[in-house]
Amino acid sequence: MTTPSRGGAAGPPPPMHPQVHAPMPPPPESAPWLRIPVGTPGPEFEARPPGQYAYDYPDTECDGWSTPDLTLRFASVRGAKHRYYRQPRQDAARAAAHEPTGAIVFAVADGVSSAASSELGAVEACRAALERLLHLLSRGPERVDLQDVAHHAAQRLRQITRWRLNGKDPEPGEVAALHATTLIAGTVRPDRDGCLVELFRIGDSGAWTLDAGRARYAPLFATKTGSDAVVVSNEVAPLPRVPDPLEQISVRLTEHQTLLVGTDGFADPLGDGDGQVGALFAGQLAAPPPPLWFAHLLDFSRETFDDDRTLLAVWPRTAVRPR
Amino acid sequence: MAETKGVLLPAYVVADESGSMGPYQQELSHGLASLCEGLRAEPMIAAKLRLAVLGFSDDVQVRLAVADMRTETTLPQLTIRGLTAYGAVFDDLLSRIPADVQWLRDQGYKVHRPVVFFLSDGQPTDRGSWQRPHARLTDKSQTPTAPNIIACGIGDAQAATMVKVATRPEFAFVAKAETDIGQAISEFFHSLTASLVASGHALNSGSPQLVVNRPDQFTMAIDEV
Repeated sequence: MTTPSRGGAAGPPPPMHPQVHAPMPPPPESAPWLRIPVGTPGPEFEARPPGQYAYDYPDTECDGWSTPDLTLRFASVRGAKHRYYRQPRQDAARAAAHEPTGAIVFAVADGVSSAASSELGAVEACRAALERLLHLLSRGPERVDLQDVAHHAAQRLRQITRWRLNGKDPEPGEVAALHATTLIAGTVRPDRDGCLVELFRIGDSGAWTLDAGRARYAPLFATKTGSDAVVVSNEVAPLPRVPDPLEQISVRLTEHQTLLVGTDGFADPLGDGDGQVGALFAGQLAAPPPPLWFAHLLDFSRETFDDDRTLLAVWPRTAVRPR
Repeated sequence: MAETKGVLLPAYVVADESGSMGPYQQELSHGLASLCEGLRAEPMIAAKLRLAVLGFSDDVQVRLAVADMRTETTLPQLTIRGLTAYGAVFDDLLSRIPADVQWLRDQGYKVHRPVVFFLSDGQPTDRGSWQRPHARLTDKSQTPTAPNIIACGIGDAQAATMVKVATRPEFAFVAKAETDIGQAISEFFHSLTASLVASGHALNSGSPQLVVNRPDQFTMAIDEV
């Protein structure tokens, strides 16, 4: 058993905040830890285990911590469809603090369901993106080449496919057939002017700034459900393909904004954010909730929305304090 | 615009009711019943579908209006009658599908591109006149809700015709020459159920394609052309 250390390379922990400073609406009226219904709920049932070798992909993952300048929460929950049909969660998220710059680096991925091992592709794409982001930040913190990060993640998918094929160099189609995944990744960096967010995406995951006080979500990328198209398409162009140019965004967070990054399992029910799902999250994310509660929120029940859901949120610590 | 209540796939079963289908009415009824039961057994999938059943002959008659199969209690019944006017089908769908999509959108849903499962045992009796409304229906620039059409031919239906009806060559099937037509109808509905369930799995999941399962007793029509 290891002894928890205090201080060390990361410096002293951020100060404790004994009180909640931001107003927090009461939690939704439901029994503790039952799924929160939003509108018409989906069917309730006990989740079934995924395939016996899918033990590396637990039903739910969550994380939460703060640097001196930023607070992070993320959660990834298995969708009702995968719980019912004995499939593993195919979404993934990872985040890390880059200590020299005080930045948070993050990645969120959504394995393409038609790929045979997309759950592994999603995790590996996130890992590779984080490794590369941390490396590039250390090498030259003034600018991170996101195209490089995307190619690094694609290369990782090729590597794990080569291992799977016993050393045979895979064709792009073989990589996609086994490990295709969407990826959205980037950095949040505190600087003299506030918080700079830089991120890219491949595929249809989404990112927003949330002004919780006004319950307003501003999408950073075009959203498929927010469009007025007569019919919607779920076509995606995932990794290992890296588009050129890459879809990239750079935005500054004001002190009253939260950065949200999520897969379409969150984006689809959120829509434009002005419905019940938007109200639930705007209310509950006014200040960083406890990580387990964050995951519980994300596992809300809404009929027909049964995809895996992953959401990552970053708050500047100048405005709000964790609960 | 408020959040969506869900994203639905409208699915249309368009079955030939012409006189030559008379001997197979029982298979048609059983096939429809098994389709409805199959969807009821998969409520999570059925929640994302809306099913309509249309019978066609000289005209098109609605046997089941766009329905949620989790709660639908009536079983659609087909009625054998008249000739095999393909043009009536595509004329009907040209007005029906946009109206249905709009209705679903008004209910607060987003809508996937509709899918039509077309089953016929005969060559069109209206010769080539069906091709004009068919072209308009399947042209996305003229009809934004242009459906994917899966065409299954049995009996006298020819492979070349099914390829023309289907929106992609791999969506066209014909029953193998030696296949009993009643059995082919059963296979059509069995495959249709499997396709709808598989497509329901794919919805909202980043999987890019409509899933079309080839009926066991059918070959892809393109192989026959």
